[in-house]
Parts: sequence; C-alpha cells; structure tokens
Amino acid sequence: MLEIKNLYASVDGKEILKGINLTVNAGEVHAIMGPNGAGKSTLSNVLAGRDGYEITQGEVIFKDEDLLDLEAEERARRGIFLAFQYPVEIPGVSNIYLLKAALNAVREHQGLDELDAMDFLALVREKMQLVHMNEEFLYRGVNEGFSGGEKKRNEILQMALLEPALAILDETDSGLDIDALRTVSEGVNALRSQERSIVMITHYQRLLDYIQPDFVHVLSDGRIVKSGDKELAKELEDKGYSWVKEHVEGSAA
Amino acid sequence: MKQLTELTTSFTSVADSIDLPGQDLSWIQEIRQQALAQFNQSGFPSKKVEDWKYTSLWELTQLQFSHLVEPVEVSEQHCEQLALLEDAYRVVIVDGVFSADLSKLTSLQEGLTVGPFSQSLERIQQQLGKQVSIEKEGLTALNTLLMKEGVMVHIAEDKIIDKPIELLVINTGGTDNLATHLRNMIVLDDNAEATVIEHYVGLTDTSCLTNVVSEVILAEKAELFHYKLQQESDNAFHIATLAAKQATGSQWHTNNINLGAKLARNDIHSQLFGEQSHTTMDGLYILDNEQHIDNHTRIDHFVPNTTSNELYKGVLNGSSHAVFNGKVMVHKDAQKTDSNQYNHNLLLSRNCEIDTKPEMEIYADDVKCGHGSTVGQIDMDQLFFLRARGLDEVTARSLLTHAFAVEVLERIPSEHIRKALSNVIEQRLPRGKK
Repeated sequence: MLEIKNLYASVDGKEILKGINLTVNAGEVHAIMGPNGAGKSTLSNVLAGRDGYEITQGEVIFKDEDLLDLEAEERARRGIFLAFQYPVEIPGVSNIYLLKAALNAVREHQGLDELDAMDFLALVREKMQLVHMNEEFLYRGVNEGFSGGEKKRNEILQMALLEPALAILDETDSGLDIDALRTVSEGVNALRSQERSIVMITHYQRLLDYIQPDFVHVLSDGRIVKSGDKELAKELEDKGYSWVKEHVEGSAA
Repeated sequence: MKQLTELTTSFTSVADSIDLPGQDLSWIQEIRQQALAQFNQSGFPSKKVEDWKYTSLWELTQLQFSHLVEPVEVSEQHCEQLALLEDAYRVVIVDGVFSADLSKLTSLQEGLTVGPFSQSLERIQQQLGKQVSIEKEGLTALNTLLMKEGVMVHIAEDKIIDKPIELLVINTGGTDNLATHLRNMIVLDDNAEATVIEHYVGLTDTSCLTNVVSEVILAEKAELFHYKLQQESDNAFHIATLAAKQATGSQWHTNNINLGAKLARNDIHSQLFGEQSHTTMDGLYILDNEQHIDNHTRIDHFVPNTTSNELYKGVLNGSSHAVFNGKVMVHKDAQKTDSNQYNHNLLLSRNCEIDTKPEMEIYADDVKCGHGSTVGQIDMDQLFFLRARGLDEVTARSLLTHAFAVEVLERIPSEHIRKALSNVIEQRLPRGKK
C-alpha cells in the first residue's frame, strides 16, 4: 500500500525528516508516536502533499505510483485522506457542498458518474450516523463555529464518505474530551477493513486505547527510532519520551 | 491641455440644444438655472479635493460626449435576458430614452405609482433635489442641469408592494460617447414597503457616461429594500449619487453591487432624521483588468436611537484599483446610536490596489460603534484543505473567492433576489490563477 524509503524533508532549509523508512500494508493500522518537534506533522503534510516542504532524498510509493510526483488533489483522488489536526473553517462554503465536490472528485477519478442528489443525500445521512452528527451541520459553513469535537467528527464523516485506501489521522485526539474521543474512535474503528490502511499520528497513548494499532513506531528527531506492537506505546507512556531519547543516544554512542 | 471652463462648456452648452423635460415648467427651469450657475462655478471635482484623492476624472473630461441618441432597437426577448428578475414591474430606459414597449407597467398593485421621470415631474415637484446637494457635488449639479429620464416610484401609505420594481437601464453603445443623466425618485409614505432594483447594463464596449442621481424618501415606518446592480461595459464611466432621508421608524436596506465599468464612482448617503430608524448599507465590487471603482458612503445619525450596519466587500484581480471611504457621523444629539461599518478586500493579483478608509466621527457620548477594514489574499490553509479533499487548485480558488463575496449576499432577506444576484456574480468571479 504505502512504502516510505529513506525520506528526507526540510522546511526553509531546516531538515525535519532525516531518513524515514516505513511500510504499511493493506488493512494495517500503524501508530506513529513522538515528542513535540519530532517531525510528526511534517510527515503527514508531506504525505498529503502540502506546499512548502522540500524533499531532499528518498521516495514514497503508494499503490505502485511515485506519490511525491502528485499534487495534493491527485493524491486525494487516488485514495489518500488526511484528517487534519486543526480542521480549517471555511465560511461561505457549505459542508454539504464540500462533501459533494470531494466525493465527485474521487468518483470522477474512478470513472464513476456523479451521484444524483437523492442518492447522495441518502449516503451522507447514513455516514452521519456513524459519527452521531445532526443534519443541520450539513448546511453550515465548513467547520464554521464548530466545537473542537464537532470539527474532528466532521473529518471522520468526510473519511467515511470518501472511503480512502490510506487514512492519515494527524493528532485526531487533540482537543477532544473523553466522550468526543470515544465517538471519533468508534467512527474510525467502523472504517477499519482489510482494504484500508490507517496511519495514526499522536503524541499520547490514550488514543491507542480506543483505536488499537497493529504496529507502533516512535519518531524522534526526524527518524523512526523504535518499532513494535501496542505494548511499545504502554512502555512509552510509563517511561516518557526521554526514555526513547536516552535509549537512542545510548545505542548511537 | 483643456481648461476647466472649456470642459464645463461642452456640457453646459448642450442644455440649450437638447430637448429636456419640463421646459414649460418654471420651477424646474429655475432649478436647472441654479445648477448651471453651480456647475460653472464648481465644474468637475479634481484630485485636489480630499473626496476625490484616489479617483481622477481626467480621462472623462478629455472625451467629447454626445447627448443626441442614434436609436438602437432592443428586442423584447433580449430585454428579458438582460433583466435581473422575470417577475417584476419593469421600467426600461434604452440609451437614456424611456421605452414604453419594453417596460412592464400594467396591472399595477393598488397604492403603487411608477413611471418615467419625464412624465412625472409635477408629482415630484415638492421633493426633487431635496435629498442631495448641488453645492457640494459638481456632478450632482451637472445631473440637475441635464436630467432627462429616470424612474419615479411612489408607494402610498400602508401599502406593501409584493412585486419588486426593476429599473433596467440599457446602454446599447449605438452612439459613441453617449452621456445620459438620469434622475430617480423613490418615495414611500408612512408604513409603506417596497423593493426597488436599479440595474445598469452595457451591451458593447463603446465609451459612454452614465451620470445618475437617485433620491429616496422614507416616511414613518416605511421600509425599502433597495438593490443596485451595475454591469456597465468595459469602457463606461458610471457616476452615481444615491441619497436617502429617513423618518422615524423607517428602514432602508441598500445593497450596491458593482461588476462593470471602466471607472465607477458611487456616493451613497443615508440621513437618519427620525428615531428608531435604521440603514443597512452593503456593497460588493468585483474588479479585473484596469477597472477602477470608488465607493464613498456616508451615514448621518442626527437623532437618538438609530442604527446602521455597513458591510462592503471587494474582490480585485488584474491591475484593478478600488477605493472605499465610509464615513459614519454620529451627531451631538444622537445618543444610543448603534453602528458598525466594515470593509474587507480580497486581492487575487500582485498588481491590484485598494485604498480603504473607514471613518467614524462621534460627537455623542453614549453610543455603540465599531469599524474596521481588512485586506488579504486567498488563505493557504483553506486552499490546502480543499485540495486535500480532491478539489483541483483552480476550482478551490474560485470556490474560496465566491465564499468571500457571498457574505454580502447572505444579508439579503429575499431568497429570490439573493439567488438572482448570486447567479450574476458567479459568472463574473475571476477564476483563480496559480
């Protein structure tokens, strides 16, 4: 599904990613954890195709294509979905308009016709139940005046509708209370499947109690320094990121 | 270089040679004489005047304008396509001449009087010119000297007029450098309610001048929904003055949408003379290439307990230039005034320019007032969000531009008119460039 090979990326001449290697197969859920400044958000932005990052080395292969050659919208249409850490508000563009435009962009790429208005609305309603969203949210501006939890649920709604092959969840737990975290996690768990891969980027272990990963990786100073199963996350929680840093420095010395 | 006196002469001399309405009415002859004297004295405003600092009429004054029309036929079908609203009373003026054939003025609702200015002079004798000042504005003096056509709307007491009234002004471009001087009078008696649309359309890119003065009088508790849609041609000069006097409890909602013209200037003035009166003064301008627009607005709060909201938004592309100067005056006695005024601009290219100046002068001490202006570009986070959802960059940019502009339309209460205007605007919005 996704293969990241020796990826180096910098912003304004400052190197942030320093040789990432990661393979994600279909159906797998990977968690990438790490302290602030480790390069977690840079990794998700680079994968989604945000401007402003310079790739100095390495490659990313997604479904046999060189991902780094594609514009952000081309990646989205091929099935990459980034759930944003801070979903932006867009007053003047209604949520339902966005959902429809996004879905049609994907369908067009897949050679499918646009859904008619009735079928589209039925589909959206079905997906909204997954994240317990009220229909009035459809007619408001995208994320306009939404609470933190509502914004994240809106992200999962978009994911549910677009059915991506690879979902990258960037700090999806940030700013959520326990109830909202549970709702969002249930939504994500419902979307787990043999065809879909998920990469969760998170600072805290608590998200992993709700969405259990198959693999956990620790990102530190632009590299994956440790990989394991979900027990690794617990160990991190107990010992803190300083433990990883010492561990890495120790092994390097 | 032509001298100022020569420039005014080219206009003042035509007053004797063309057929102006009311030549048998001494009172209107007197008004025109005063205007002549005033225009001879003041002439066209120069950039030395603060209110004209960013807008030069130099190019306009170098042209030799014509006041004699070569008639061009506009078909009924074409007129239907040009009109904003299908189901509306309609007054149609083609190249400055009222067209009875194209107008739709049959089966008028009771309480509504509407007709061309040239046939309504006696009805408006008492009010004509009272809302504007020929002393302060040379162009209003010029309009008063040469005003020939326009629309007169009168709504009787307690009447609510269901159908909107559209004034459709068509410049066909059939006469080179045609100048038209229009005067509109909109009068609502106590408790009356109406919707009036001033709609200016240019059909070809021939140079022309539209110089229009609209006067609005709102009696007690009258409510007027007033829209202006300016779609003049690329080489048109559009100069407009719009002024209202409002009595107690009256409400004026005006929305000034400018999409066309090479140079457009709007002077809009609300005068709140009665308590509990309210003005909403909104506007939208969408410019491209070398277009220039200057919106000067003024709201006078003369008495206590009045309110006003003002929102002007602009989308600038190419090397266009916009000027916004909004003044809210809260006079000494106008306690409990509640007023806000905002101007927001979206710049889509590096070469466009905006000069924005929201102003408040407050002489009362117990008021609630806010104002501000912003100038910005397409938000990169919003753009990336849309692209990450599969929308291509051009689509995403035009969607965000539309989203910016549409806020002004969202404040329009009539869904019907909102949609009609929204359709027009969508066609006019520049597609975002990379």
